[in-house]
Amino acid sequence: MNKHPMTDGQEEKTGTRREFLRNVLAGTIPATVLMVYGPGVLAHREPSELPRGEGIPKAEHYWIYVININNCIGCGNCVRACKAENEVPDKTFRTWVERYIISGEGVHVESPRGALEGFREINAGVRQRAVKSYTVPKMCNHCHHPPCVKVCPVGATFKSPEGFVLVDWEYCIGCAFCVQACPYGARFINPKEHKADKCTWCYHRVKAGKLPACVTVCPNKARLFGDRWDAEAEVTKVFLEDNWLVLKPHLTTDPTCYYVGLGREVI
Amino acid sequence: MKNLSPHTHLYRLGALLAAFFVVFLVVKSWATPASWIDDVDNWYRLDSLEEMKLKPLVFGGNESCKECHGKTYGQFTGNTGNEHKGLSCESCHGPVTRHAKGGKKIADAIRESKSTWQCQNCHLEMINKPKDFPQFKRQAKIKEHAEFLAGLFPEGTVCLKCHAAHDPTPDKCVKKEDPECSSVAKAKK
Repeated sequence: MNKHPMTDGQEEKTGTRREFLRNVLAGTIPATVLMVYGPGVLAHREPSELPRGEGIPKAEHYWIYVININNCIGCGNCVRACKAENEVPDKTFRTWVERYIISGEGVHVESPRGALEGFREINAGVRQRAVKSYTVPKMCNHCHHPPCVKVCPVGATFKSPEGFVLVDWEYCIGCAFCVQACPYGARFINPKEHKADKCTWCYHRVKAGKLPACVTVCPNKARLFGDRWDAEAEVTKVFLEDNWLVLKPHLTTDPTCYYVGLGREVI
Repeated sequence: MKNLSPHTHLYRLGALLAAFFVVFLVVKSWATPASWIDDVDNWYRLDSLEEMKLKPLVFGGNESCKECHGKTYGQFTGNTGNEHKGLSCESCHGPVTRHAKGGKKIADAIRESKSTWQCQNCHLEMINKPKDFPQFKRQAKIKEHAEFLAGLFPEGTVCLKCHAAHDPTPDKCVKKEDPECSSVAKAKK
């Protein structure tokens, strides 16, 4: 007589189930251990930490940038200085200033020629309706988790050990992936060099013991640059008062440009 | 042919892949620069940092001006009540490298700073400027000041007729003997 197909090999089936469970556990337990203690986790950096790893020189400074909106008068000195210091070609900007005009009709944002020549007076009609208005300097935020660095296919753009996000023009192929990846619109393709261009926090100046050009010429201390590890630095004192914000915090790029007195319209 | 293993094609494929892998490693080691940093999500040529340092400076900061203009610099910073004290020279005068080279003057730095636009750019009253920042209105409140400005504004170097750029506090009128100027000063008090 034929055995019933359902009852055939009953014992064997039980064995298979036990084996199956054993296999599942044998796979998941080591995998979980690897995830918690594995090499990927060891390399993981907390937000607000500088790059560290094999071969990376130890950072002596932790440079950060503070922009105080309460002090910005929109003169455009910074934009002009940046152009002069870094030979930024016409119609492109490594830093620019935006003017926000808030009225009952909404928020109007303008940046005529990046505020290269400052701003003009607002006409009387708009002025009367305006509730408030302020100017906001913008530039590369030198993020802790820069999306531009993640997308670079040739390792040309990177986060330096001291916090600068820079572009190695020897390696840049001008593919513009980084230009698209930057949520702050801080990058552009240099029309003369055909390479990705952006604010460097005047790396060459900082390394020579000077301040970035924009900070040097700012007449009203709206732009500050300094070492986060220096307790006496003006930039560090900003953190004693819980009054700072970063741009687009929901993107978790963790910028190192901190804004003081920033309106919610800007974020 | 009889002695060939039934898995020969697999062995051959394996050998080929191994050869490719070796070639890949050789090419990779040859193409990777010595100072290559292989951090997580952050790989780059460490030498590029050294190369970027070599870029020449355009702005020199106040120290570079002090070398030749020590006296002016002393006057500028000497007065504790000077509203312009915290300013950098190059804010108004432009970058030092356009003015001097190797300790010698190559172009005037003063011209740029003497235009009314320069003063106006910071101090003309605008809604976007901080309330506590000193700003002047085109229609001045003080009658004499208004009449005085009306004829000259916005051309020329009208501001500097009364205000010293290095110490602009209006009480310290640069031309006290000038009747125009003293009338404004009186009206202010």
